[in-house]
Amino acid sequence: MIDTTSILGYAKPWSVAPGETVSFHLSSAHLPSASLKVVRVRCADPDPNGPGLKLLHAATPLDDGDVQLSSQPTHVGSYASVADGPILSGLTAFSVGCYIYPTIVGGCRQTIVSRWNDRLDSGWKLELDDEGHLSMTVACKGMTRSARSSRSILRREWIFVAGSRSADGTIRLEAVSLSRDGGRERVFSVEDEGFPAVQWPAATPLLFAAQWTGDSRPNKETFNHFNGKIDRPRLYGAALTRADVQQLVETLHPVQTDPLLVGAWDFSLGMNGDEITDLSANNLNGSVHRLPMRAATGANWTGQIHSWTEDPSQYGAIHFHEDDLEDAGWAATTTLSIPDDWQSGFYALQMTTSNGSVPVESYAIFFVRPPRGRRTSDIAVIAPTATYLAYANNHSRLDQTHFEVMADGLMIITADDVYTNEHRELGSSTYDTHSDDSGVCYSTGARPILNARPRSNTFNYVNDTHLLDWLEEMGHGYDVVTDEDMHREGARLLSGYRVVINMTHPEYYSKEMLDALETYQNGGGRHMYLGGNGFYWRVAFHPTKTGIIELRRGLTGLRSWETEAGEGNLSFTGEPSGLWRSSGRAPQRLCGVGFSAQVFDFSTYYRRLPDSFDDRASFVFEGVGADEPIGNFGLRLGGAAGLEIDRAEPNLGSAPNIMILATADRTGAGGIPAPEELPALYRGFTGEENAMVRADMVLYPTSNGGAVFSTGSIAWCCSLSHAGYANNVSQITGNVLNRFLDDSPI
Amino acid sequence: MLQTDPKTAHFPVDPNRLDLVEEFRRAPKGPYSPDLQKIVHRMRWGGEGGRFVLIPVEPGKKWMLGLLPSRRGDAVKTFSDKTFTRLADAEWAVFKIRWEAITGVRIAEETDQKP
Repeated sequence: MIDTTSILGYAKPWSVAPGETVSFHLSSAHLPSASLKVVRVRCADPDPNGPGLKLLHAATPLDDGDVQLSSQPTHVGSYASVADGPILSGLTAFSVGCYIYPTIVGGCRQTIVSRWNDRLDSGWKLELDDEGHLSMTVACKGMTRSARSSRSILRREWIFVAGSRSADGTIRLEAVSLSRDGGRERVFSVEDEGFPAVQWPAATPLLFAAQWTGDSRPNKETFNHFNGKIDRPRLYGAALTRADVQQLVETLHPVQTDPLLVGAWDFSLGMNGDEITDLSANNLNGSVHRLPMRAATGANWTGQIHSWTEDPSQYGAIHFHEDDLEDAGWAATTTLSIPDDWQSGFYALQMTTSNGSVPVESYAIFFVRPPRGRRTSDIAVIAPTATYLAYANNHSRLDQTHFEVMADGLMIITADDVYTNEHRELGSSTYDTHSDDSGVCYSTGARPILNARPRSNTFNYVNDTHLLDWLEEMGHGYDVVTDEDMHREGARLLSGYRVVINMTHPEYYSKEMLDALETYQNGGGRHMYLGGNGFYWRVAFHPTKTGIIELRRGLTGLRSWETEAGEGNLSFTGEPSGLWRSSGRAPQRLCGVGFSAQVFDFSTYYRRLPDSFDDRASFVFEGVGADEPIGNFGLRLGGAAGLEIDRAEPNLGSAPNIMILATADRTGAGGIPAPEELPALYRGFTGEENAMVRADMVLYPTSNGGAVFSTGSIAWCCSLSHAGYANNVSQITGNVLNRFLDDSPI
Repeated sequence: MLQTDPKTAHFPVDPNRLDLVEEFRRAPKGPYSPDLQKIVHRMRWGGEGGRFVLIPVEPGKKWMLGLLPSRRGDAVKTFSDKTFTRLADAEWAVFKIRWEAITGVRIAEETDQKP
């Protein structure tokens, strides 16, 4: 067994052009060094039943000698900080208050607001303790005093909380729940005598949702992270009554010129960035760290609007999580300038050594695009990096319990899954929930991603390389452009290519990416969509930072979690997220077919339909018999139609001139339709009994001599290499590609 | 919040239906008769006896038995002495554990022969 986890690493950025530099950030907990080699990835799947691993060495200076490794820690947990200054360090009598919506109560200490140096065990903090009680704590010179609530508060209920210290040292804790019905009422007013004199630690930041360790990077800087939402925090230079603090928190516009108003933060401002804005005259602006979820409903959300863009003031909360991650922050171990003569493709840094007698082999992926401003092939393959990010370090098969029954068989997990299960600091996928059960809506590439690299589990990245392998086997050159390239540069990136190909599962699309593809089609482009469940979820890349996507899963679709009420719009852009179908652009509009069903127990084959005998489609089936089953073989559950499949549907936008060439509609009892396919719940809907559950192979001409060909199945490309590439899936794919490369109108 | 509750799988399993045990032993990968399919659904949905998984030792050739934790993030238990070169053998091994966990009845040795 190969050890794939004793060295881990990632590349930044993922997409580089010749002449540009990629950096590699590596870490090993116990191995001192490794050999490095760059490989161009032709096939990332080691399964001996298929083409096998095909990694082509690309000579670089990294080939010379080993590189020294070190253990680089990854710290998680989001928070917001305000830099220290005299106004904060000199605050001896004060009140601090806000609304909170805790999503974990009990089991761990969670700091709401603090100015605390843990190394000195000194400062003040308003927190939720490990029994779920609120407390206001003051500590100085070895003395610690707290005012603590008599009961725990409730999970997922808004509550106003405040702490204060008066000039004579008295500490007060106040709390009032927003809802008082159904046993939800929590009202606390607790006092402790405190101690009369304090001397606060110097140079200590004010933190929301965490405490400062007193240390700095690469060591751990924060701990006791808060899980949940914090709305409208206020800091005032006197000990106020509960009513006065609550009034200060309630109001969206505190009196700015009040000399005792230290800070009043409005988290609804600058929603798409890292800054938090102070409304007071002190301009105590700060920053969020590690991607807490912004555009979160506040305690004042009415339910009358569902997008933060309609009234940002109802979205003045930030949802913090103890397991948020934006960038692992590992120092670069080495860098590489991409040589001018490298061909575009999927690449990876290979790290090898041995762990005792066990060989160690690990990878950090990146993509080499063609030189900027030009193309080097007639074919562009779109590397679905948004989808790789969405699935990055997916824990859902481990954390959720339905995958074995979905597959109707034992799950096969990898050693990488075993590792990521225990190393949650490597961050989650957008399929996962945080430790507080809320959905993960951001994903970053700046961390080791163990399920998108050679030898990783057989979905997305590994499956996609079967298409690369086939293209190379057939002698086709190709350029690779990534989703993020297409998002940032738009249609001009695709202009001039005769054929653009989507791979096995381009599920996550931004508006800019869809616009680019649609523009390419309208300009006479030839588009091959050789996957399943494509163009399904609406996402956005971060407006300024590379390698970060955002998704809100909404309330329909095949969703592993649901957006919380009112939080369906992206913080990055304000766009509605969820299904593209819900934004009026169902996948059928782009490529003729759209998500129909999951089939994870076995894959099936296509049979030809009357349209396949139309003269306009005859080129597709050259060399294929009239009654020949198409794709009754393959590496993914034995067929070319499976895993996730798509169907044509005129009501969802399939083109009026579409030819449905073939269909795979005998998917069996494991073919389960997507939830948005059914108006009600009733018997007889599985693929065993119903042809609504199916993959359709379609072809249609578009404007200016363009055309679209879609197969609507994730499994398709994993059948290409069957029988030494001499099979009808390969034949059909080749027929279409060769015809699409031919300039004459379809 | 969307969650699958393993405890809701409740199709009754009759410990006397050894004919279904025998059916599974003969064809662990199916197809199953309707009664056996429902029992298998219960086992795979509920994971009674353990949420077992397979971990490749040699890609496509050899797998090791593993057990997922009941609490998120706890270690996956691996059984290096329980390896399989056929997926069907792994299914049968786990079926026996789950049958006993649900019915309290151990599958007799005479039934427990190599499929």
